[in-house]
Amino acid sequence: MVNYVIFETAYGYALFECLQSEEIGSKLANVQKAVQDLAKFGKTVKLKSFVPFKNAAHALENANDVSEGVLNNHLKNFLDMNLPKPGKKKSPILGVVDKNLASSIKAELGYDCETSEIVLEIIRGIRLHSDKLLNQVKEGELVKAQLGLGHSYSRAKVKFNVNRADNMIIQAISLLDQLDKDINTFAMRVREWYSWHFPELVKIVNDNHMYSILAKFIRNKNDLTEEHLEDLTEITEDESKAKQIIDAARVSMGTDISELDMINIEHFADRVINLADYRKNLHGYLLFKMNNVAPNLSALIGEVVGARLISHAGSLANLSKYPASTVQILGAEKALFRALKTRGNTPKYGLLYHSSFIGRAGVKNKGRISRFLANKCTIASRIDCFTDKPTSKFGEALKDQVEERLKFYETGAAVTKNADVMKKVIKELEESDAKMEVDQVQPTPSVKRKASDEDAPPKKHKKSKLPVDNDDKPKTKDKVEKTEETVVEGTTSKPKKKKKDKKKDSKKKEKS
Amino acid sequence: MDSGRGFGRGGGRGGGRGGGDRGGRGGGRGGFSCIQKRGAAAGGRGTRGGRGDRGRGRGGGRGGRGGKAGVKGGSKVIIEPHRHPGVFVARGKEDLLVTKNLVSGESVYGEKRISVEGPDGTKTEYRVWNPFRSKLAAGILGGVDHIYIAPGKKVLYLGAASGTTVSHVADIVGPEGVVYAVEFSHRSGRDLINVAKKRTNVIPIIEDARHPQKYRMLMNMVDVIFADVAQPDQARIIALNAHHFLKNNGNIVISIKANCIDSTVEAATVFAREVKKLQEERIKPLEQLTLEPYERDHALVIGRYIRAQEDK
Repeated sequence: MVNYVIFETAYGYALFECLQSEEIGSKLANVQKAVQDLAKFGKTVKLKSFVPFKNAAHALENANDVSEGVLNNHLKNFLDMNLPKPGKKKSPILGVVDKNLASSIKAELGYDCETSEIVLEIIRGIRLHSDKLLNQVKEGELVKAQLGLGHSYSRAKVKFNVNRADNMIIQAISLLDQLDKDINTFAMRVREWYSWHFPELVKIVNDNHMYSILAKFIRNKNDLTEEHLEDLTEITEDESKAKQIIDAARVSMGTDISELDMINIEHFADRVINLADYRKNLHGYLLFKMNNVAPNLSALIGEVVGARLISHAGSLANLSKYPASTVQILGAEKALFRALKTRGNTPKYGLLYHSSFIGRAGVKNKGRISRFLANKCTIASRIDCFTDKPTSKFGEALKDQVEERLKFYETGAAVTKNADVMKKVIKELEESDAKMEVDQVQPTPSVKRKASDEDAPPKKHKKSKLPVDNDDKPKTKDKVEKTEETVVEGTTSKPKKKKKDKKKDSKKKEKS
Repeated sequence: MDSGRGFGRGGGRGGGRGGGDRGGRGGGRGGFSCIQKRGAAAGGRGTRGGRGDRGRGRGGGRGGRGGKAGVKGGSKVIIEPHRHPGVFVARGKEDLLVTKNLVSGESVYGEKRISVEGPDGTKTEYRVWNPFRSKLAAGILGGVDHIYIAPGKKVLYLGAASGTTVSHVADIVGPEGVVYAVEFSHRSGRDLINVAKKRTNVIPIIEDARHPQKYRMLMNMVDVIFADVAQPDQARIIALNAHHFLKNNGNIVISIKANCIDSTVEAATVFAREVKKLQEERIKPLEQLTLEPYERDHALVIGRYIRAQEDK
């Protein structure tokens, strides 16, 4: 028996009283019929109170809270003022659309809330006739408020992107792939072009980058003499090659080339060299980023493959939500769907193929190791996504596991159990934490701590901005005590459990 | 040949092209004109006489090319209202689907614009609606009976993407109507917000359509839901939104991509299953048509939301 209904609009909060809820409320069909007709519906619900938002910013704040099911102070005061106190003879039952909001109202204010079909039906009725029922709001004002709020709400959503760091990785890996392609085509062009002048060089120097540098250095092959041997050796890092080049230049069958043409070739070779250098920088940037954002995943399968996985999933959070079976064939969608359609064999691996492990496994075990690796990748990405303390320890342990598994396939050597490995890592981490605590007491902070602080600003901001920064200290202290406990008791089950809790915690944080 | 090339290129050759267009039109001046860029048209006016021949010659050559390019060629274009209110057909060399541009003088996604002078000298601009880019347009050209999206209607658009089709829907409903455009992706949401900035009847909502209660503050009841979400659970998404925001006996227009729901069975089976799911959610299917030749294995399903149960 709902007797009050809260209706949130872009303009403000409205509280409606349901007058005849007892007669019609019991039967859904009756409500539905009543809702159609304004005259009838107007008698069943009455506007009890309406409070508009102060301004656009205030409205946005409230919209965000309502959307997340959070009871903010504004709504709290509004309900407190207009609803009869709970616990009296006829305590009010509040109809709310959102279950989350209903439970927070119940928790904070103690009102009984209902979220049933009937509430939805009444809200539908109010929404349908909102122009008439909310007599304080002029016609058309509501749509105007919706428009304004819709824009600010959506803008805020786009602006506050939780996947900021991931997006940088995705762009970087895409650019890296693009650069690889482009540098290759450009280098081929340099080779073609310069080969008119010095065709023999292609045979001697295979590497594109080195070829471009050489083309730029040699310029006119006729000027090449024994004096240049040292410089050439420096470039090629191989004296015999340098000698070969000088010899080839002497007997070259290439055409002579004018100074103007030479300048143009040189310019282009310069571009290619710069581009290659830039690619190297970018690669460094990607490694750095990956080690910050996904240290365990990077440690397990390498930064580049890890970045590809993230890029394919869209974000680290998305990747961590995938099951291992999906991760295994990520990047082989075409083959997968073809196999599904023709009922053939599904692919064994997608992007994971580029990790070194699969190449090292025997033909028979490629699929097995791919599956195993996918499992480990999933674990690593989940740890990366939801942990508060960036560490690559887990990733290293997982990598060792894969190595062990490879060995097992070769020689049949027994492997360690996953639970044992994880326990060991957790214990190690806690020990180092305890050490850190000791270090922190001393005036000079440990190098390790400092490094991790500097390395991980995006991660730290993202996950632990509010809760952890404030109670960082007590938490670590707590941890020390607990480690001591475990040492005394000698039980190992405790840390495991704690880790799970931690995971849950960070998940919650992420949601809020 | 030369003029033909200039024609195909972008705005850089605008002046020259504008002149050519005018020339082509010189023969039969029916009060309709066709421009792509306003500046170009103004520039071309001065040289009209001299270029008349050229324009005509080019027109002949162009006939064989067909397609979109033929439209802006300066031949006269007549705008006729389509069977669906708010939609128009531009009859020129080729017939094109167009909508009246709400923000005249601007394209949203690089589509062609056709400007027409009415009998009283007022200019109205129309935007060409490409059926290969918009499933709704494909449905209209496929001959759907009712789209239920009409001037003054309130529309909830799920899966708004970058707002290309949304802009046309906004054109159709006009300033009296409202389009609530829901899109989850932040990247395309950025473009959607930019479309909505220009069109005040579009309310952008960057939120997951699976959780209609999250954006309930921004919504009124709507007359029609158009859904192009391409998710395996799209029937559920649509039903959820209908339960919250669709008027009783309101309509639902859904585009279904068979591959997105189940790629292992025949497209027809997928459509039948989806329709079944909709029926379970009190949505009565009225019409179904395939979007061939514009899209492969796509269907447009139109239904009515009948919430109130019949009396026994």
